[in-house]
Amino acid sequence: MSVLIGRKIRKIYGKKSTAQEVLKGIDLEVNKGEFVGIMGPSGSGKTTLLNVLCSIDHPTEGIVEINGQNLRGMKEKALANFRREQLGFIFQDYNLLDTLTVKENILLPLAISKLPKVVAESHLKELVGLLGISDILNKYPNEISGGQKQRTSAARALITKPALVFADEPTGALDSKSATALLTNLESINQQKEVTIMMVTHDPVAASFCSRVLFLKDGAIYTELYRGEKTRQQLFQQILSTQSVLGGDGYDA
Amino acid sequence: MTLSRLVFRSMRKNVKHYYLYFFALIFSVTLCFSFTTLQYNPTVEAALKESGTATAGFSAGSYTLYFIITFFVLYANHLFMKRRSKEFGLYQLVGMTKGLVIRLIALENIILFVLAVGIGMGIGYFSSRLFAMVLLKMLEIDLVVKLSFSQEAFNQSVLIFGILLVVILIQMVWMIRKVSLLSLFTASNKTDERVKRFSVFHMMMGLVGIILIIFGYYQSTLLFNVEKNKIFNDLYVHMMVILGSTILGTFLVFRYSVALIMNALRSSRNGHLKVTDVLAVTPILHRMKSNAKSLTLITLLTGLAVGIMSLSYIAYYSSDKHARQETPYDYILLNDLGLGFLDALEREGIGYEKHSFRMGMVELNIKDLLDESLKDSTVFNFNEGSPTNVISISEFRQVESNVMLKEGEAFITGYDSMLEEVLSLNAERDIFVHSGDTEIPLYITEIRDENIFPHRVLLGTPVLVVTDQLFENVLNTENEEREFFSQVGINLVDKDDLAIAEVLYQQYESERGVVFEGFEDYPYVQPSYEETRKGSLATLGLTIFVTAFLGLAFLLTTGSILYFKQMAEAEDEKEFYTTLRKIGFSTSHIMKGIYAKQLFNFGVPLIIGLLHSYFAVKSGWFLFGTELVAPLVITMCLYVIMYGVFAVLSIQYYKQVVRSSL
Repeated sequence: MSVLIGRKIRKIYGKKSTAQEVLKGIDLEVNKGEFVGIMGPSGSGKTTLLNVLCSIDHPTEGIVEINGQNLRGMKEKALANFRREQLGFIFQDYNLLDTLTVKENILLPLAISKLPKVVAESHLKELVGLLGISDILNKYPNEISGGQKQRTSAARALITKPALVFADEPTGALDSKSATALLTNLESINQQKEVTIMMVTHDPVAASFCSRVLFLKDGAIYTELYRGEKTRQQLFQQILSTQSVLGGDGYDA
Repeated sequence: MTLSRLVFRSMRKNVKHYYLYFFALIFSVTLCFSFTTLQYNPTVEAALKESGTATAGFSAGSYTLYFIITFFVLYANHLFMKRRSKEFGLYQLVGMTKGLVIRLIALENIILFVLAVGIGMGIGYFSSRLFAMVLLKMLEIDLVVKLSFSQEAFNQSVLIFGILLVVILIQMVWMIRKVSLLSLFTASNKTDERVKRFSVFHMMMGLVGIILIIFGYYQSTLLFNVEKNKIFNDLYVHMMVILGSTILGTFLVFRYSVALIMNALRSSRNGHLKVTDVLAVTPILHRMKSNAKSLTLITLLTGLAVGIMSLSYIAYYSSDKHARQETPYDYILLNDLGLGFLDALEREGIGYEKHSFRMGMVELNIKDLLDESLKDSTVFNFNEGSPTNVISISEFRQVESNVMLKEGEAFITGYDSMLEEVLSLNAERDIFVHSGDTEIPLYITEIRDENIFPHRVLLGTPVLVVTDQLFENVLNTENEEREFFSQVGINLVDKDDLAIAEVLYQQYESERGVVFEGFEDYPYVQPSYEETRKGSLATLGLTIFVTAFLGLAFLLTTGSILYFKQMAEAEDEKEFYTTLRKIGFSTSHIMKGIYAKQLFNFGVPLIIGLLHSYFAVKSGWFLFGTELVAPLVITMCLYVIMYGVFAVLSIQYYKQVVRSSL
């Protein structure tokens, strides 16, 4: 079953004379329970694609359907509601509110929902247990480490039990140890709870946790890799060789 | 790129942030310049020549105005400099020296300032005519105000604003020099702190704040209450105690009590916050430390401004009533002098009503009518009785026909309303009055408030109304020389005759003069009601005008400071809104929280400020006039409306920020 369907998505920035086509007709489908990675060199349109798919940005042409609902033509308020109920977000720079404690940050999306407190509390317990942040619930973001921040952010993304979680470079600001810890967490949540995750990353290690990796080049899908029965290490090697085929531009690591 | 081009580029880019500061500057210059121009306007100067206090009033006004504006401009400048700290940091990071950055910003400031002063003076020049017309209207002077340019006013304003510019530049240099490159980058969020573990000390301080304010309010009700005020006999000390406890209390309330209440609310949510908690409660808590001082200041300024404006408005509002108290009849003829005035009125065919009184005098000790507790007060000396006018009941019936007195009874009327507040009299008592050597027992039936005699006749004493027989006895036994023995009070039937009657009354001036022994050259000439009223208007009008002007300046500065602060907060919180909108909060959800936040930011200083002014005004309003409610309510409503305008403006700004955040 497809959770996300994108058809012929094009995105053009700027006016006619200076128009720049960032996305050139992308088709993709994401099934329930998949962990999809999007990779590509800088300027290939990764983040634009993610923004368009997650309804923060509008495509110039094409259709985006999430859980069978077409996003085109939805009003701002309806879109906001849709995002809150169906989608979860993890950002590179965490986007936690400094004024709120970890617990308050995690429960933030429920601030305008009618979910009973008891239910919310049990969701919270389960998530913080899985992510290993149950003992920092009453701390403020500036008192915890980057890895903890990102796990808080992940918990916030998952608290509403969304159909689809979007992660934009979630490990971008983390050291490799915290990054691996977070990805392991995400992977196990993806497998245990069948949460569909879509992650933009430029880090081959991060991408190797995915069940499928899409490669973007100049606004179009270049190729895709499936993990299948391969080990993470094997996928990682495949990703590296695909990257070298794609060209070194942007991969200076 | 040359320095000047960089300056113009950055100014063009900053115009959005600047325009408010720019308008605020223009506005202050306008206010200042029109005030000084007004002061030197020949028409106004001529009109106010009679009033000796005019110049003093004006200069007191303009100094206060300069003070407010200096404070305001410095504050606004500080706020805007802080907001641009990142920009300055960037300049230094790319290799500009501090000196160059200072020159750059100085150039920007000078251009902005000179422009604002130029425009402000232009507007001020024209608006001064408007203000002059308002002033003359208040003083009921019919003169056409000409627009006039005053070199003196111009020089004075240029000097003041020149000095102000220098001060701003010094402040700017100091701000840039003081900070290191690193702190420049973090200046905008340095002062923020969160109330983490809520200590008992904070809770105590929160409670102390509320108690101090209540204590101050309670003491203010006792300020002129001689009965209950036992602790503070010295008025000055008492006022200082009230002022101190309210000011400290206000600060503690903002610093701790607000946090106390909000923290309680927040903990009760146990992590499950509502939209308003996220957008109002937690940001307010987050900023309370840095905002406490400015909110206290704004609250106190609001209280001060509303208080002063209310008091002067009370004085203006009651000037009619006050004049009536001083001169109860349109025209008064004393000691049977100038009775020809009556014939003159008849000759002109002017209808009038007259009340004639004969006055006797007894010794009455006010002490006998006061409350027990007041008798022991050390503030007043009640050992001797004071000469008190006596009239007969039958003559009193000219004023009010439905009054009766039995043998041995009497009542009191015409007691000064200001004294009534401090030393109120009680009826239904047996007292003794002295007429010559005889002691007369009287039962006081009631205290009435009809005013019959002008101030000069009463000199603060009440009037005793007695039975006709007793009155005759008093007149016969009395041998002491009295200043006044009779009065004819005249009221016009038709107020349209006022102009002619005034002229006639003037014509009899020399005949009306009451000559006292030893002061033959200075006879007392009773003014007409109209003259009394105009006279008090002339002295009060200017005071009221100046205080209203200052009140306006206070209002606009406090309002703009609140607005500027909110603008800065909105910019700071933009990332918040981005995050919230990404994870699914709609603009209307976010705005709901912001309404609550603005309600707090504008509402709480306003409410506490109004409460302060209410208690301040209530403690001593009777010294200024006779009507409390209407002037106070009108002033407060005006203030609330103006604050509302600022709140709406800030909400609009927030809306714009939230809309553009995604």
